[in-house]
Amino acid sequence: MLAKQLLAMVAMLAFAGSVLAHKASDSFLYVDMDASEVRIDIALRDLALLVPLDSNGDQKVTGQELRAQRNLATQAIESAITLTNEQGACNIRGQAWGLSAHSDGPYLATRYRVDCPNGKLPDQIEYTLLFDRDSLHRGLVQITSGETRSLTVLSPDQPVVDLTGGSIGPWSTFGTFLYEGIFHLLIGLDHMLFLLVLVLPATLITRQQKDQGTDRSLKSRLLQLTGIVTAFTVAHSITLALSALDIVRLPIAWVETVIALSIAAAALNVAWPFLGRKTWKLAFAFGLVHGFGFASVLGDLTGGVSNLAVALAGFNLGVEFGQLGLLIVGFPLLYALAHVKAYQRIVVPLVLMGVGIVSLMWVVERAGSI
Amino acid sequence: MTSSDNKSPHRTRHASLPVFFLPALRRGGAFWIGLGLLGLLCSATVAAAPNPIQSDFDDDAVLVTLPASAPASDRVPSSPEAMAREVQRLISEARRSGDPRFLGYAERLFEQQAGQALTDSLLVLRGTLAQSLHQFDAARQDFQTVLRRSDVPAQRAQALLTLANIEIVQGNYDRAQSFCEQLTAERPGLIAASCHAQVAARTGAAKAAYDKLAATTRSMNNVNIQDYLWVQGTLGDIAAQLGQSSAAGHWQQVLSQDPDDLYTRAQLADWYVQNEKPEQALVVTEGYEAIDNLAVIRAIAMRRVNHPDATVLASRLRERFEEALWRGSMLHQRDLARFELDIEQRPKDSLEHAIANWASQREPLDTRLALRAAIAAQDNTALGQLRDWLKQQNQADARYPEES
Repeated sequence: MLAKQLLAMVAMLAFAGSVLAHKASDSFLYVDMDASEVRIDIALRDLALLVPLDSNGDQKVTGQELRAQRNLATQAIESAITLTNEQGACNIRGQAWGLSAHSDGPYLATRYRVDCPNGKLPDQIEYTLLFDRDSLHRGLVQITSGETRSLTVLSPDQPVVDLTGGSIGPWSTFGTFLYEGIFHLLIGLDHMLFLLVLVLPATLITRQQKDQGTDRSLKSRLLQLTGIVTAFTVAHSITLALSALDIVRLPIAWVETVIALSIAAAALNVAWPFLGRKTWKLAFAFGLVHGFGFASVLGDLTGGVSNLAVALAGFNLGVEFGQLGLLIVGFPLLYALAHVKAYQRIVVPLVLMGVGIVSLMWVVERAGSI
Repeated sequence: MTSSDNKSPHRTRHASLPVFFLPALRRGGAFWIGLGLLGLLCSATVAAAPNPIQSDFDDDAVLVTLPASAPASDRVPSSPEAMAREVQRLISEARRSGDPRFLGYAERLFEQQAGQALTDSLLVLRGTLAQSLHQFDAARQDFQTVLRRSDVPAQRAQALLTLANIEIVQGNYDRAQSFCEQLTAERPGLIAASCHAQVAARTGAAKAAYDKLAATTRSMNNVNIQDYLWVQGTLGDIAAQLGQSSAAGHWQQVLSQDPDDLYTRAQLADWYVQNEKPEQALVVTEGYEAIDNLAVIRAIAMRRVNHPDATVLASRLRERFEEALWRGSMLHQRDLARFELDIEQRPKDSLEHAIANWASQREPLDTRLALRAAIAAQDNTALGQLRDWLKQQNQADARYPEES
């Protein structure tokens, strides 16, 4: 206990010795939606404008002077904050009272428990402290809900903040982006075509195999397929993350063009393996480019999302689910078709030609916008 | 095509990867880099827990010293004259201390008067306040109104001078020139001469401007001290632009008379850092850590001399800028950009803020920072825009990074 007190004193001393910043006036409001608590930190300097803290007029506020004005200070703060939900105003009950430190000096910090009608959480916070004294005063709000923290600002023009809108839980973010990921894979024709072209070799029976009578089992085909899909997934996950987190940025027009080219190249490679027969390597290399394409979609959706990592994880997983879903439906179909004679001779070449033509048209179209 | 089919078994081993993806992303290493970066991002988003609440503070401890000049009450001043005195006091206090709270108190006084007609002297003050808050358009409006309405020479001169300054700061030298000319017509003298010299120096005639202003100053008798110091400040600025070591002398003269001239102090400190004299920069900035721009220059100087407190000041600045970013309204965007460039070494973030700052302020130190950030971030588009503008203005400055 003594050690703890000593530590606190050392902290105070270090604090008093340092030269503090001059900055515009801010209060800090921490809203904890999980514990239903709100904490407000107000600079002693600012509080002194509202409450006569310096009772002996020596321009210095001592610990005793602050304690003596505790009631007035509490009243000033409580009358400036209103938390509500749709049922009405919430009650606040003091939990802790003391000092805290911010970059421009000591603050009075008060933590309250918030009790709202029906035992529900507050929807809104209104804050009016000091706005009638200092037009540059702001209330800086941090809303914590689960793993998510969001920041917002209260000002004379905007004295009310919505707590629910500002505190979309991580699961909700995750769910939204999971859905978006699936959706965008399924409406993104170019990714689907690329996937189709990647999958085709796993359904084919090569002449060599036929000659040697070593037609592969379903198991070995599934294994090959897994390798291809995994390589594609790992690769586009890497570039999706790099791009979404703003570590690598590529011009989207180039990316789109190269994606279209990659489909054409992959289609050609099925007939003429000029890029090699190891489809998984091809899937990995082109997957890197496709990741940048996914990232541009994700980038359009994440404006205002506080927890980008959760959004990214959700989106990526959504893309994988969409991909998996397609394979579960598509692969057995192709596998069944593979035993039809015309499949290898007519269907596959036609599909490849069609895909090749469509993707080359995209190349021309997209290259135009570079 | 048939030949490529024949060769393909060899090519798979060597050239199966297409040429257009990033070399850094080859093989599995990229996955771990990505994963590591992802982890870093997650840890950054949860690092913002508030400081603990200390309840066991001592009764005798002095918690804070209040500024003597804080407004005593929230009463509305009894007369326009009383209000003008109060606003003047608050603006001076803000300038002297570099404390923006006083600007907020002053602005609040005007908001209480919203809808009421203001006297000309209050308009001058409101324009000055707007300028201090970097609300340049609002400031222009008020001063233009003063020029239309007022016959008081002092108010008109103040309006013209401030308008000229705003245009110089924003890099509109033609407009600045016409205000300088109007100032010369209405109130000839050193201040007007200084106005012309500033414009000439920024538009290709720095040496001539310096010589002419120095000669004019020598030829004048009975110069009042305020005008003299103003001109010394200008001479210092132009000398620095020319890379002349006399810059420090001019600024030191200003500071010897007015140690709280924070603009000049920052110019001098920056000069020392630019000219590899970090120890002298430390002397000039000592005791001014509370003011963002001086604190950033001090942090850079501390880093140069491996000062033991370098990291302490840097982390304090980091906290300040984090709060400022949370707040959103950036009065000191240039300081943030410089901090990001020279202390945090994040050229891309720095460039973003430096360019945003440069959109509204184009003093040599703003331009130099934007140039340096663009070079560090290897952004040739931004660099090209900056250099084009400098060419258009015919502006050169010895402090700008050299063209490579």
